[in-house]
Amino acid sequence: MRNNKIAGQQLSIVRSIVGAEYTDMDIVRALHLANNDVTAAINIIFDTPKLKLIERASVGTQRNSPVSHRSSSFDAGTGGGVVMASSKPTAAEDKNRSLGSEANVADSVSNSRDCFAEDVGAHSSSTASDWWFVGCGEMAGLSTSKGRSMNPGDQVLFNFPLKTGATTPSPGKGFGRGRQAAATCSEIVRFYTKETGEIGRIPNEWARCLLPLVRDKKVRIDGHCKYAPNKLSIMDTILLSVRVFINSSMFRKHNQVSLKDATNSTDESVFHPLPTLFRLLGLSPFKKAEFTPGDLYSKKRPFNEKENASLQATLLHIKSNRPSVNDDETDNEDSISETDLDKIVGVGSCSELEEMDPPCSLQCELRPYQKQALHWMIQLERGRPMDEAATTLHPCWEAYHLADERELVIYLNVFSGEATIEFPSTLQMARGGILADAMGLGKTIMTIALLLVHSGTGGSSSSQLMDQPLSESGEVNDTVQNSSNVSKKASKFSGFEKLRKQRNTLTSGGSLIICPMTLLGQWKAEIETHVQPGSLSLYVHYGQSRLKDAKTLVQSDVVITTYGIVASEFSIENAEDNGGLFSIRWFRVVLDEAHTIKSSKSQISMAVSALVADRRWCLTGTPIQNNLEDIYSLLRFLRIEPWGHWAWWNKLVQKPFEEGDERGLKLVQSILKPIMLRRTKHSMDQDGKPIIVLPPAEVRIIYCELTEAEKDFYEALFKRSKVKFDQFIEQGRVLHNYASILELLLRLRQCCDHPFLVMSRGDTQEYSDLNKLAKRFLKGSHNAPEGEAKVAPSRAYIQEVVEELRKGEQGECPICLEAFEDAVLTPCAHCLCRECLLASWRNSNSGLCPVCRKTISRQDLLTAPRESRFQMDIEKNWVESCKVTALLHELENLRSSSSKSIVFSQWTAFLDLLQIPFTRNNISFVRLDGTLNQQQREKVLKRFSEDSNILVLLMSLKAGGVGINLTAASNAFVMDPWWNPAVEEQAVMRIHRIGQTKNVAIKRFIVKGTVEERMEAVQARKQRMISGALTDQEVRTARIEELKMLFT
Amino acid sequence: MASSNLPRRIIKETQRLLSEPAPGISASPSEDNMRYFNVMILGPTQSPYEGGVFKLELFLPEEYPMAAPKVRFLTKIYHPNIDKLGRICLDILKDKWSPALQIRTVLLSIQALLSAPNPDDPLSENIAKHWKTSEAEAVETAKEWTRLYASGA
Repeated sequence: MRNNKIAGQQLSIVRSIVGAEYTDMDIVRALHLANNDVTAAINIIFDTPKLKLIERASVGTQRNSPVSHRSSSFDAGTGGGVVMASSKPTAAEDKNRSLGSEANVADSVSNSRDCFAEDVGAHSSSTASDWWFVGCGEMAGLSTSKGRSMNPGDQVLFNFPLKTGATTPSPGKGFGRGRQAAATCSEIVRFYTKETGEIGRIPNEWARCLLPLVRDKKVRIDGHCKYAPNKLSIMDTILLSVRVFINSSMFRKHNQVSLKDATNSTDESVFHPLPTLFRLLGLSPFKKAEFTPGDLYSKKRPFNEKENASLQATLLHIKSNRPSVNDDETDNEDSISETDLDKIVGVGSCSELEEMDPPCSLQCELRPYQKQALHWMIQLERGRPMDEAATTLHPCWEAYHLADERELVIYLNVFSGEATIEFPSTLQMARGGILADAMGLGKTIMTIALLLVHSGTGGSSSSQLMDQPLSESGEVNDTVQNSSNVSKKASKFSGFEKLRKQRNTLTSGGSLIICPMTLLGQWKAEIETHVQPGSLSLYVHYGQSRLKDAKTLVQSDVVITTYGIVASEFSIENAEDNGGLFSIRWFRVVLDEAHTIKSSKSQISMAVSALVADRRWCLTGTPIQNNLEDIYSLLRFLRIEPWGHWAWWNKLVQKPFEEGDERGLKLVQSILKPIMLRRTKHSMDQDGKPIIVLPPAEVRIIYCELTEAEKDFYEALFKRSKVKFDQFIEQGRVLHNYASILELLLRLRQCCDHPFLVMSRGDTQEYSDLNKLAKRFLKGSHNAPEGEAKVAPSRAYIQEVVEELRKGEQGECPICLEAFEDAVLTPCAHCLCRECLLASWRNSNSGLCPVCRKTISRQDLLTAPRESRFQMDIEKNWVESCKVTALLHELENLRSSSSKSIVFSQWTAFLDLLQIPFTRNNISFVRLDGTLNQQQREKVLKRFSEDSNILVLLMSLKAGGVGINLTAASNAFVMDPWWNPAVEEQAVMRIHRIGQTKNVAIKRFIVKGTVEERMEAVQARKQRMISGALTDQEVRTARIEELKMLFT
Repeated sequence: MASSNLPRRIIKETQRLLSEPAPGISASPSEDNMRYFNVMILGPTQSPYEGGVFKLELFLPEEYPMAAPKVRFLTKIYHPNIDKLGRICLDILKDKWSPALQIRTVLLSIQALLSAPNPDDPLSENIAKHWKTSEAEAVETAKEWTRLYASGA
């Protein structure tokens, strides 16, 4: 003891010699090292060249709170500030001096750059109210000093490293290891006393949670020595008693967020300092969370259920196997089959559910299973009775009494670590769920029924029930109270009226339905047809001229909009002020085709999650499309806690799942069970009958044979493609050239539809020898052409350039400055009028590219696509392919019955071609593809349904993907096979669904002896592969095998 | 009247030059001959020609755009690639001409030439030599000339 006390006198002696450049701390440390030998200390200082000089500039922000002078020594209940390095002698220091301690020691500690000290001395009555006393605790500090001593009751101060991982210059070898350690190991929190300097360090678990909190001035800590050995040696245990205060300012505006940020925890982390601190303090919640992370860990689940193992494989396969090909084909290709989906999410045994009759304002009959859905949805929307809900603690939150005499209560989210003083009631919980009935069961109509039964405005929750004398209605009415009542209760409960945030700045709105653009018209039409006029007001929020005034939007009971609109209004900053969808608190938000938001990082997913709503619904027939992760985005939107926190989802579901731990999948199933309803066409009702009986559908494959001319052309094309493919195989670069291979296959598949599709796009050189065969094919027609089949460039290449041109200004020839006429593409991807380019050359066969001066020759030029994508006059040269002939034959047979048909193809170019024979054979048709805007689509669909003369709808497979109801047709012709039968199935389901009264015939065309036939085999093989667990390597091999099959 | 058989490209270029002039460059066609342009280029900043206003004439030959325009400085200028008659040594005006270039791009190139004299490919031997032997002095002369002949007055 005698040697360890560094006297102020010694300090000032040293200072008088070394000068003012050195910090007090440096001097203190030097003295310490030198065992209080002044001369030695001076030598140490001078021998340490790198020793840091005093930073006169203040470290960090200075806190200039008015400081009142208090005589009472350690008044723990009051607040304090952090004394910063350059602060002038404050009352605090004065006091310290008056207390007879070495104020300089404290000062010096705070002077060192990489640390700051919590100075308990700087109390101030004016800030006291900002600090709430949380509680006391005890910790076992570890001595890092030797020979010093401290007595019970001694005040200890804490020294927190300022920055995590801050690299401070090495203080030099002469300077005690304590300091070096502090520089390298920034997580260590040390304590010291004013009298003796550093004593020891606090336990890691304390340091870990205190550090971020103290650093952000969220928490303050006082400490006293409770017990210490008489004379300290290294590693001795020192018992400290600490008192922790929390800064009330962190509960003001947006505080929860900042608190969370303060933890330095990324989204991935599940460590949260505040809950940990509370635990260390021995605080126990007076109201425990019903649902804690611990529950999740402890729930052991059985392993090795065979069926699920294969599912696991399915999804894993899909995940690991996504080749980086940029076309949609692969996306769809990898989507999971309906059967697998059913296994993952389960199919509801709907027989247990009660039914609920729809109000009479719904002008159509609901089937029993639809009434069940209505009951289920109402139940979920109701949740607990409002009254109870408002006063029931959200199961993810815990409530703590603080030790503060003001009787404060703090709520902690055990999953996210957020803290609040507002009562987190179950009102914030999800009300709603996922209606995941399979396609064709009428999710739209069930939702419309819900809109009619239960509507109101957001926030007010004064829901009006339609005048239905339902047993339900009375109950439902009970569930709704007016909000002021609720908030009063809530605030009374929490006791924080003063600080309660007023959130009700948003305008209260009705129900918002968000759907893909293609379904906008259908929603509107269905509501208009099925709802008694006057019972629901409707507004379609779409288009440039849409009204953004919130007042207008809230006037309608139902607002329909598209995902695109939501995303665009979301991206506008301060959307709240700008009006629009985000300035409204919706009574209910419904996402139709909710898998649209499956990528959680997409703008659209974030946008819909940001909508404020009291009730939330997802409608989707495919809650998982490619990956288990798809579910996460839905749960986040629905506010199914804690699964909306990526960290928890990832830790407990995603990761285990990916690692093959059964529990991941099981957990998903248990999460989804209460909030998801899924039935399929095969679901049975109580009596064991199918819930839905549709007219039978017959699926038949029509095999076509290539004509001689077609065959020659196909064979030539095939040989050419195979040579290329074999090269890739030889080089072992199949998967690297996946896109090129798909392109080769694409050509072959198109050739099966009609050789014209390929002739219009073969690149000059590669396909030049095909010209003869092309000619031969053309000659097979009656009006054999004189002219040669013009050759055209690679379409993919052109598209790339054309796309580029489109992005820039309107295309203009750089020579004539006019719109292109007979545009050509140079190999260097510049686009010019053919004539302008040739005129710029002296020599007629080659010259420089006028744009980049690259030498090019005439035959390198590619002809850019024109209005018509065919380089020949397809009308004049028209020839039927075998498939076209077969289709025409089928359609002729149907003509007399006047039953309507849909003709699906993946290629709109093929639809172009089909229009020729249709016109010639007087088959009246309409056409639906991706180029149509919403209004045009609606018009086409309406015409097809209503005009009895129109027998055929030409439709691109992709355009017909979602939601469209085509029950007017009873025949579907699938012209070309798709990689994934599920996509075909989905399109075909448009006709085989509720509302279909006739027998349905589905005919798929396959050309024998071609790639199409082998695709069938691959599809079958794929099914097998999906059901077996494969490793990454096996999957790769399998994929190559698959491709090899196609090229046999 | 000359405009009646003027190629559309020239009309378009002229319109664009007038409606969206390039910074530091003005070019307007002569009243009586639409192929003849009066051009003014401001000396680029941080060049010896800063503060100067240089007059040029530009003529579009019959073959334009398949042949390069003819351009000449009217204002006296001290520059290694411009001779005392105002003729300019610039590749794009000669063998590197491309019909994808335009009046605007030509004038911008000339402006760039003022910023970056190239004494290794000289038109005016004397000036180039001056530039190579004593650049600072040559720059001073160029500044002097700019003050004397191109001060706008």
